[in-house]
Amino acid sequence: MKFSSMRYLAGEGVKNAWVNRLMTIASVGVLVACMVIIGLAILISENVNKAVGNLEQQNVVMAYMKDYNWALYGGGSDADTSSGTDSSASDASQDTASDSEEAEAGTSAESSEGSESTESTTDDTDKADENGIKPSDYVIHNDDEAKALCDEIAKIDNVAAVEYITSEEGLESVKESMIEGQESYFTFLDDEYGNPMSGAAKITMTDMSKFDETIDKIMELDGVDTIQSQSDLADKIAAIKRGVGIAGFWIIAILMVISLVIVSNTIRVTMYNRKLEISIMKAVGATDSFVRIPFVVEGMLIGLVSALIAEGLLYFCYRVATETIIATLGTTDIVYYSDVAWWLLLVFIGIGIFAGVLGSVIMISKYLRREGSEFAAI
Amino acid sequence: MEEMRLQGGGTAAAAPIIEFRGVSKTYPTGTHALEDVNIRITGGEFVFIVGSSGAGKSTFMKLIMREEKANTGIIRVNGFNLTTMPRKEVPMLRRTMGIVFQDFRLIPTMNVFQNVAFAMHVVGASDRDVRREVSRALSKVGLGNKARSMPAQLSGGEQQRVGLARALVNSPDLIIADEPTGNVDPNMSYEIVSLLTEINKRGTTVLMVTHDHNLVRDFQHRVIMLERGKIVADNAGGSFQ
Repeated sequence: MKFSSMRYLAGEGVKNAWVNRLMTIASVGVLVACMVIIGLAILISENVNKAVGNLEQQNVVMAYMKDYNWALYGGGSDADTSSGTDSSASDASQDTASDSEEAEAGTSAESSEGSESTESTTDDTDKADENGIKPSDYVIHNDDEAKALCDEIAKIDNVAAVEYITSEEGLESVKESMIEGQESYFTFLDDEYGNPMSGAAKITMTDMSKFDETIDKIMELDGVDTIQSQSDLADKIAAIKRGVGIAGFWIIAILMVISLVIVSNTIRVTMYNRKLEISIMKAVGATDSFVRIPFVVEGMLIGLVSALIAEGLLYFCYRVATETIIATLGTTDIVYYSDVAWWLLLVFIGIGIFAGVLGSVIMISKYLRREGSEFAAI
Repeated sequence: MEEMRLQGGGTAAAAPIIEFRGVSKTYPTGTHALEDVNIRITGGEFVFIVGSSGAGKSTFMKLIMREEKANTGIIRVNGFNLTTMPRKEVPMLRRTMGIVFQDFRLIPTMNVFQNVAFAMHVVGASDRDVRREVSRALSKVGLGNKARSMPAQLSGGEQQRVGLARALVNSPDLIIADEPTGNVDPNMSYEIVSLLTEINKRGTTVLMVTHDHNLVRDFQHRVIMLERGKIVADNAGGSFQ
């Protein structure tokens, strides 16, 4: 189509919108209402996601390691069976001392009996220390190995962040969380038998709905003993996110259909108002697309104007609402309009153009195919 | 396209510009509008189509414009085979003809110039061509000084002349006029048919439906009479009574 024709048709579309201004204003009004509700649904969803995201950040998982302290408190004696969630490093066996003595005695005996055997050569590097713990009794021997394990964990899908917590930091943290007086028990353990806390990987996940499968993958890694987490909270967070997502989808879908119907109806009225013009157009050799374009332009214009008004209106309403929330609740942990302004505008324009173009194309195509007479102008 | 536009839409004197061969049209309601109609109108002819209400005149015009399709028979107009022509080619056919309606069909919100220019915009003419050709067409029908007037400010005869200018502006090979004098006074009727005759003398084929026997008698052109969907008379020289 020639540029002059396009310009003419675009002008006709704008003129149509003006000539039918009452219908145009009514359509813009309803479309703006739909867009504002869609925008509110998006903003509410974003705020819920942000709040849930904060909860997710707080809902960290601790993966305790099979390190020296773990072996010291009896971890090595049942290393293959102690793994599991919701257990704690603090449940270390009280029999550690006697176990250690036995282990030490055994090691000493073996060492003195076969000093020339191959086994005794190997055992030279696997000597028990004063607590009876041999290097082969545990998996994580130093900070480097602990950090390497953290790196392995970080590679697992859905793991957002991993932080290495040394056993000393872990002990301090536990003591701090105790009420006054109770922390003395841990001080006693530390002084008498050594630090009861194993080193740990502090893990944050991206998506709490994949919590269980992520935990399974972490547990498969060599060197991980137990996982401490709040799986109930993870389930609730996942459920909230899912609920908000589904509700948002349906609100947007329903309002999109309403928008489409509204624009279609306006175009339908315009079309019947202009049936004389359409009949003359067809009689003098206008193609279907030539007849259609002014209506499409009109639909697009209604959509675009509605998008701009909705953006402005939503900005004003949301600003008032957030200022009130900040003033009354004192929280600033909300989604600011400036963070979403551009993409909300794009969403509105997208909805407007989609509804405008599709609504007009459906209506005018139906009219051109099934109705209207060029000869009788009906 | 080559197959459809058999004779290239030319206006050579002997070439048939409209040809109906064994054409019948029955509407879904069961009404037999046309039955076994055979007509051959050559380029440059002026033909009156006459007949009482329900005779099939409107169906005849609709078939020529390809607003309706014949049930049987072959129709060729301006070199297009309307029997096999796909719907998307219909605009091309209509661009080869100008149509004048009994009720003028002027767009009330457009002035005279815009009403005529409208037909040129449809075919994608440039603004410069639109200005030149619209002025020329309005001068031909004697309305060069009314370009800015709105339709409501014109008499019936003037409005029909605007309709005629709109039909002429794309220089069609064929003009179809559906009772163009039906809504104007007798003097203006003579003026309009005189204008059509003048246009015809320049080589454009004119097909005019009318009820006015006086016009048919006075202008002495070929007359085709339809009754109950059949051609009952086809007389050259306006000998219809």
